[in-house]
Amino acid sequence: MLKIMFLVILAEIFTAVGQVLLKKSANEAESYNLSRLDAHAMFLKDVLSNPALWCGFGAMALGLLFWIIALAQGDLSLVFSLGSMQYIIILFAAHIFLGEKIDRMKFIGTLLVVFGIVIITLSH
Amino acid sequence: MSNSKSSLTFKIFALLVLNDLGDTLAQLLMKKGLLQTGISSVTFGNILEFCARNSSSLILWLGIIVQALNFFIWIVILYKVDLSIAMPAGSTSYIFIPLAASVFLHEHVSLLRWAGIVLIALGIHFVSQSKKPEVPESRIC
Repeated sequence: MLKIMFLVILAEIFTAVGQVLLKKSANEAESYNLSRLDAHAMFLKDVLSNPALWCGFGAMALGLLFWIIALAQGDLSLVFSLGSMQYIIILFAAHIFLGEKIDRMKFIGTLLVVFGIVIITLSH
Repeated sequence: MSNSKSSLTFKIFALLVLNDLGDTLAQLLMKKGLLQTGISSVTFGNILEFCARNSSSLILWLGIIVQALNFFIWIVILYKVDLSIAMPAGSTSYIFIPLAASVFLHEHVSLLRWAGIVLIALGIHFVSQSKKPEVPESRIC
């Protein structure tokens, strides 16, 4: 039980770091008018040339590895209900590392999503 | 969700749903591809054979391609909204998959699951009402 919790939290931290780095690469991109189709290719080239994006992919690959190891331990409903913690970790990671604001609506909404997922995974 | 005070426009919400559907499709394709190899458990002894058989699996590659296209949708979403909004708002598959299973496949969805689905839908609505961050004019779609 403790081992599974440790693995899931490790997976979630790496995934959160990966998502933060992906968002960082999107934030650092130039201004593009994405209502134009050709601007998408330029935007993609921009983010793909940012090392932060590739570091993000690496972190997410590690997160996936720990997630798979946790899944292999068996107890799927425990792993998936703990997995919903991801939303809370990303909420705070985005606040700390990207300066995204946490207002009351965002906080309550995120908690509701987490509770909803926990209920669904435990209902199996 | 489409009112101007909301940080989540209809267009971004549609992209989030598309991203979620793409993810589900990719997972199904990859799982199907991996099952087709006929190897039920991977050990150190057969890991090379496992990789060799999978590398020629068309359906697995299709799953990987869908996943790559999906990454592009995700990074476009991240370009336009906060990560802490995109993340919870992107959990629509918890709503649409049981809903589709109930309507089209007449699968039984328990009361407890419906309760969970309602909570997630409410949560997404709340998150979408969160204050609009300051973004450059060119990034608003």
